[in-house]
Parts: sequence; structure tokens; C-alpha cells
Amino acid sequence: MATEISKAKVLICDDSMMVRKLMKRLLGEYGITDIYEASNGQEAVEKFVDVSPDITFMDIVMPVMTGVEALKLIKASAPDAKIVMATSVGTEGNLSEAIKYGATDFLQKPVEEEQLTKLLDNFFKEA
Amino acid sequence: MFTQFFGSYLLNKKIVSPENLRVAMEKKDSTRVKLGVLAINAGYMTAKQVDAVHRKQATVDKRIGDIAVEMGYLTSEQVEELLSSQKTGCLLLGQALVDMGCLTNEEFENVLTSYKKENNLTDKDFTEDDNKKASEVISSFYDIDGEYAMYVSEYVNILFKNLIRFVGDDFTPLVSAELADSDTAVTQEICGEFCAVTSIGAGDAAAVAFASRFSEEQLTENDEYTKDVISEFLNLNNGLYNVNISNSTGKELGLTPQAVSTVGEAAKINAKLMLTVPVEFSFGVVLFTISIK
Repeated sequence: MATEISKAKVLICDDSMMVRKLMKRLLGEYGITDIYEASNGQEAVEKFVDVSPDITFMDIVMPVMTGVEALKLIKASAPDAKIVMATSVGTEGNLSEAIKYGATDFLQKPVEEEQLTKLLDNFFKEA
Repeated sequence: MFTQFFGSYLLNKKIVSPENLRVAMEKKDSTRVKLGVLAINAGYMTAKQVDAVHRKQATVDKRIGDIAVEMGYLTSEQVEELLSSQKTGCLLLGQALVDMGCLTNEEFENVLTSYKKENNLTDKDFTEDDNKKASEVISSFYDIDGEYAMYVSEYVNILFKNLIRFVGDDFTPLVSAELADSDTAVTQEICGEFCAVTSIGAGDAAAVAFASRFSEEQLTENDEYTKDVISEFLNLNNGLYNVNISNSTGKELGLTPQAVSTVGEAAKINAKLMLTVPVEFSFGVVLFTISIK
């Protein structure tokens, strides 16, 4: 796992182009430039295999395959994968399901810089 | 959110023109609420007394508060209390209309009194976070009743909060509005305890302006990206609504992915209850719907 921010690989999975664009900008400002994108859960699973990201940000409500389904599949083949659920639907049910399947953390949408920075700081400190 | 409904009230009673309301909505954020309007709202002074104090001020070099105390209309404690009280949106809007010459202090007093009376509001209720009162005003405005009334009025409540937070507070709820069937609409279903189709519809110019504000980008065309931005607003709004319902009732609701269609298609839903919520921003009308299937 990369411990240097500049070498970290991040996968953003969200069906919204606007959210992906925003996340890319915020991650870039944090110093992360090796960024990959997926627009649904199935694409995320495929992209995860291809690039082995250090962190994956995963939306929940998406077409083709939901974020929770993608989380399950990725964790089944890569138990150490760090997957952060990024969603506006942070209900108790969704959160407990995501935790059950091995989500690392949760990011409430709309994503705010301060919240993301705190999460990344913790991640790189631990790594 | 009382500000937006107060604006709608002024419009429906034909007290102000749509154009003047639009200008006042834009001006209110840079408006300073004067002591007279605060005193009228608190019921400490009548409009006639405020006018008398203003006339007196034109002849002496003293502050309004000092003159009102001298004339026996207010105590020093009341002046202090008014000056430190929360300057809510309704009062900012009222002050902007008075400053523009659209309302006299007396007209403002009369309309504020009748608005509060009709909605059973006190000046204390004007604090924007009174959720229960806001839901009551919404239910009354849209005549929401029946089995799903609580879910629907809460939906509108959350929607207006999110519009204020993410798009802007310069909007007025309308009673009705017509959009072309071919105008853009995005839809998303909420399913669980009940099943509802929600939508946002807008003409090209309003869609671009709405998306520009939400994304904080300068968009120029109603293209795929603009529709994506509006879809994300709907998803965000519905997600926060589901969280709220989950927290307040313990009931879990799910969401389907959003779909882009047209206003005509979105209106074809076979619903037990369909509420249309048109709102007019300075850039145009945006139509929100929630249809319980």
C-alpha cells in the first residue's frame, strides 16, 4: 500500500459526473493525482481489479450495480480493500449494511473539503 | 422558509407585483432591518407610531431608538431587545419592499398581521428552524391531507431547506405554473413504507441556471452535464429526505437511480396523490413533483 500521498491511487465510483469532477478536484488539491473513475458498481469492480487502488470512494445508489453490491464483490476478492461509502443516503440501514460487508468509512454527501481532508489525513496517518 | 411563503402570500394577495417581489428577494440579503420594522413585528409599536418617529427624526439629530423612547413608544430595554433579536428573512423581505417604496410601514404592518393570523404564527415562529411550524405552513399552503400527508409535507419541507442551502433563497413558491411537455425532467423513485416518484422539471434556460448554481460552475447549455447536475440535486435531496424519515420514524426508504425524461412523461404517472411544487427563482420557474403510487 502506498503511504505517500503523491503515489496513492484512488478510485472514484459515482454515477454523477458532477460528483466525480468535484472529488477529482478535491483529491488533486490534497495532492493525489493518480485518480481512476467508474460510473457504476460493475465498472468499479472491473476497475478495482485493473488498478488496485489504495482507496475507493463508492456511491450507493447507482444504475447497473449498486455500491453495496460492488463493495461485497470487491471485499470477497480483496479483503484488505479500503472502501469509503460516499452517499447522501446515510441511513442507519445503509450504514450498517455497508459496515457488515466491510466498508472502511462513510462520507456524507454533499462532500465537503474539510470532511474529506480529515478522512484522508486519518487514512495516511494509519497507512 | 417562512420568507418564501410570505413572498408567495404577498404575490397571491396582489400586494406586490412579481417583478417587485423578484427585486426585493434579491435585495433582501443586503438589506438592514430597521428598528421600526422590528418594533412592528414584535407588536411594540404600530406603523403610525413608527411613521411619527421617522417624521420626528427628520427634525432632530438623534437615533430612532432614542426618539421612540422619548416619545414613550418603547422602553430602553425593548430597544436593546429588538436590536439584538434575530433579523429573519420575512423582515428582510418586508424591509426591502418598504425601502423600495412598494409598501408603507402601515401596509407592512397590516399584511404581516394578517399573514401571521392566517398561518397561526407568532413573531417567535419566524425562526427558520421551527420544523413543526414550517410543516404546518406547507400543509396549509398546498392543502396536503390524508394518509400520506406527513410524508409529503416533510418532503416539501426538506426540499425547500435544500433549495435554500444549495441553490439560493431568492425563490417564491407558486400555486401553479405551466411548463412545456418537452421540457427536461429528471425523476427518481423513493420506495419502502410507500412508493413515490419525484421529479424536477425546467425549461432550458432555468435548467442551466439551476444547475449552474448547484454545481457552482458557469454552465451554458442544457446538455448531458447540466441534466447530470440536476439529477444529482434530486438524488441529494431524496437521500437527505430518506435519512430524515429514517431518523424520525425508524423506517428505511430506498432510492432507485435517477432517469432523465420530459415534463410530459413525468406527469403520466398513475398516482394516488400527486403534489406539484412550482417555485419561481429570479432565473425562471422550476417544477418539483412528488407522486405517491
